[in-house]
Parts: sequence; C-alpha cells; structure tokens
Amino acid sequence: MASLRGAYRSARSLPLSPLSRQAYPAPACTQRRTAASAAAVTAAILEELETTTLDAPQLSPEEKKEFRPWKRAADREFNLPGSRYQYHPPKYNRGPLHPIQSPPSSDPIARDYVPGPFNLPRLKETYRATVASDLMTLAYNHVPPGTPSREPAERLRSWVGDSPYFKNRDRRAPRGSPQLTLKERDITFRHIPEIKEITIATYAPKAADEPDHLLVARMMLMSITGVLPEITKTKQDVQAWRIRKGQRSGVKCTMYGNQAYEFLDRLIHIVLPRIKEWPGVKGTTGDSSGNLSFGLSTEHMHLFPEIELNHDMYPGKMLTGCRIFIKTTATSDRHARLLMKAMGLPFYGELRD
Amino acid sequence: MGKLPTSVLQRPRAAAALLTSSTTTTSFTSTSSLSPRISPHCGSSQVRHATFVPRARRPYQFTQLVQLSDGSTFTARTTMPQGMYKSTKDSRNHQVWQPSDKSLKNVEVDEAGKLAAFRERFGRGWDLDQQPLEGEAPAAVGGGAEAATKGAGAQNQEQQKQAATPAEPSEDPFDSLTDLISQYHTADKSIKGGMTAKEAEKLLGKKKK
Repeated sequence: MASLRGAYRSARSLPLSPLSRQAYPAPACTQRRTAASAAAVTAAILEELETTTLDAPQLSPEEKKEFRPWKRAADREFNLPGSRYQYHPPKYNRGPLHPIQSPPSSDPIARDYVPGPFNLPRLKETYRATVASDLMTLAYNHVPPGTPSREPAERLRSWVGDSPYFKNRDRRAPRGSPQLTLKERDITFRHIPEIKEITIATYAPKAADEPDHLLVARMMLMSITGVLPEITKTKQDVQAWRIRKGQRSGVKCTMYGNQAYEFLDRLIHIVLPRIKEWPGVKGTTGDSSGNLSFGLSTEHMHLFPEIELNHDMYPGKMLTGCRIFIKTTATSDRHARLLMKAMGLPFYGELRD
Repeated sequence: MGKLPTSVLQRPRAAAALLTSSTTTTSFTSTSSLSPRISPHCGSSQVRHATFVPRARRPYQFTQLVQLSDGSTFTARTTMPQGMYKSTKDSRNHQVWQPSDKSLKNVEVDEAGKLAAFRERFGRGWDLDQQPLEGEAPAAVGGGAEAATKGAGAQNQEQQKQAATPAEPSEDPFDSLTDLISQYHTADKSIKGGMTAKEAEKLLGKKKK
C-alpha cells in the first residue's frame, strides 16, 4: 500500500496539470483491461482523496546529517539576490522627457500607490442599481423633437447710459450676487446627479490657547473618515471673538469616490437614526448650485461607531461638532435634494429651490 | 518646489556630451571655464521641473462586517478594528426611515411582557393619558388581578367605589404604597388644567384692581 502511495507521489511531482495527472495511469490500465486493475485505479483515486502528511516516511539519521542548508549557504561563493525587491521608484517627477520615470500610481511599487478598492460600497451599489435610473425616469422632462430651443436669457446686465465708455464694456454681474449661480439643467442619461465629494469641517477656536484641541479634532475626523485631515486657519480678525487672522483654528478633510459613499452610508443609516428626536436636514439648506450642508453637534459626534468604540480616548470637553458639506454634480438644490432623499437623508420644513 | 534634490541624476547622453565638449573643444569661453569645476557625478544644473511624489498618508482601514438591526449585513471599510459591528438602532428600525412600519409607531417595547404583567397587577390608574376602554375598569387599582378581569357592570361600579375610597392596607407594604401613589394621581384632576404661579399672580392682581 505504501509503495502504491509512493508511486502516486512521484507521479504527482511530475510537471503535469492535475487533469493530465489523473489521465496518466489510464493507458496502462487499458492495456491490461482487467477488473482488478480498474479497482486498483479507483483505490488510488480514493487514496489520493484521503492522503495525509502524517504517515509520510521519516528521514533516516544519515539523511538528516546530509541535510545542512547552512553549510550550502556558507560554501556558496556568490551572494544570492536579496529577498526584497530592490527597485525604488524615484522620489521626484522630472517631466515627461526625463529618462527616469516614476511608475504609474496603479503600480504597487509606486510612491503614490493606494491599494483598493476592497469592497463595493453598499450605497454606491444602491445608487447604480436603483437611484440613478429612478432619478432619470422620475425627473424626465419631455421635449417634443423639433421644438425650437429657447434662446438663453441674458443673465448678465448690460451697461445702460450715455457714456461712450459703456460701449464694448464687459457685462455686469447680477444684482445682489457677485457670481452667477448655476442654471438648472434637465436630468438626462448624460448627467444624473451623483455625489462628487464630501467635506467635513470642524472649528475649534480654543486651539489658539491650547493646541491640543486641534489634535483631538484631527483624531476625531481621521477616525470617522479615514482621511488625513488638514488644518484650517482663521480668515479674519474679529476682536469680539478674540480670534486673529492666520490662527490655526480648525480641521477639515475631504472624501472622494468610494470613501464618500462609505461615509454617507454610515452617517445616514447608523449615526443619524441614533440621534434623539432628530427632525432631519433643514429644507432650506443648499447654495443653489447643488451642494447641501448640515451640522452635527458635539453630543452627536459620540454616536459615530468609531468614536463610540474609543470613547475614552477623546477628552469630553475638547470634542467639537462638525459641519458636513455634501457636494453633488446636481445643478440645483432641488436635484441635489432628490438625490439625497433617494439615498435616505430626510428633510424637514420649508424647501427652497 | 520647496524640496529640491541637491544632486539630481543626469541624463547619461547629456553628461557624455558635456564631457566630450569640455575635453575636445576649447572655443567656448564660458562653458569651458565652468566645466572643469563641475564633476560628472552631480548634475551640472538643477532640474527645476522636479515635483515631489508624496506617499499617501492615510490611517489603516479594516474591512468590517456591519449588521443592521434587521439582520442584514454588508462590508464596510472603517478605521475601527472591530471585525463585526452590530447596531441596535439604525434606519431599519427608525420611524423616520420606515414610516409604513406600524410596529415602530408604538413607543413601548414590551417583548418580555413585563409591562403587561405590571399592568395586570397594578392596573392603569397611574396613567394619566390612558383612555378608559370598554369592559375595563377605568381605575383598576385596588383590586389588582381581579380588577383586570372583565367583570360585570355591577362589579365595575364596586371597583370604582373602592378606588374612590382609600385602599385598605394589604399585607405587602410595597403594594399599598403603589396604590397610594396611583390613587393620588387619579384623584388629582387639576394637574392638567392647573395654572402657573405667574398666571395666578396675574389673576390676583386683576382681582385687586
């Protein structure tokens, strides 16, 4: 029995594919064509299924003495190449014509390589499977073919007056706002609103006196989002609030793509339902260009599972609330709200488009 | 552009050309005077187009299995090292997200039947907001289990009378105390329609005038 097993092991060591290995003893069988040999083959196959390494023959003392890998290494005249891959990508990009080029960021040895994606975010899957098509269908605006397109209304004001200098002068911005807001475009298959990026910002003005506040805010945002936050500075001097221009007083971080979807999923389906008597996001939010924002207070931050897990790590008095900005590719707040409602974010109160 | 390498790798061809030019031709005035100083190892001129390729700085992220309250699971990438996260309250069992789920409208969760048992024992006399149901004693306090049984009208009246009069002290001191408290609540009808101290003061002032 042992010899049979040994024969099979030798057959296995041959550089053959498993299929061909199975077929290997077959010709011998066909020559004899006896029932006993067929039984032996099936026994061998069954044996193969039941093999264990425990009943392998032990090495004899002579064989053990022969086996000296350290001796072989010492006797070797040359060094083997190191086990580590020695190539390092260049630290600097020196332009497309330089002979030393850094590998593409998709290459695992590249300096800017980020592994992933490791999963398909649930919310992204939902968006692709249902939300996108629903939005496109429900917001469909039928225009009969051949309808003459209306000329776009001039949104910039022209200069009216007798002055000769008004001629050929650039048009003025609309009254009341220095910038033109986006014009709402119909939702078509080309542009269905989707989430572009999500920014979380925290303001910790006490960091001027005690910089530890920044550290806490940084840790908080990093654990929530999985992105290394950056520190923001105060824009203006305000005497009454005792803030100076250029003070390091806040932390923010931005998520794109899968990370944004992951964060939003966690926020909508795990964190927000745990807030006591949360009415939803205010209906008047938005910058009229498809970007929505809302805030979470300090006690709400404790509801994030990442913070909840390491609750003791964060000094309670140093934890701050945050503002969340959801930027979408929608061109109006109405469309952005449609998207976010479909994603599961509730809104309350008066809605403003 | 803040960090520039002090010695930049040079293109081999350019270096060779520079070397040959410095050795063979002497007609150049400026380059020939400069070239002996420049060693072929370090770059003759710094490349200004070098941009630093930063390594991605990000916290380690684990793949986590999240289980919502309805038992559905999905994987998520997070910074928390827990392999599995089970949530007790989420959008699956929240009224705002599940408006059609009638079971969520009932605030009272009585899976073990403890509240029902309490009511069976002590009645609902303590509950101010309760609606008196048909066939149930409106103030089923003193009788305990007997009060909860659907008695005839006569029995009900008897129970009401009992409720109006102070309950007899039973053997269990805890029982009698709860009875006392609950009866106090039922008897006092002016709690809801009462007025605040401010209002009373106003009224007094009006009367004085």
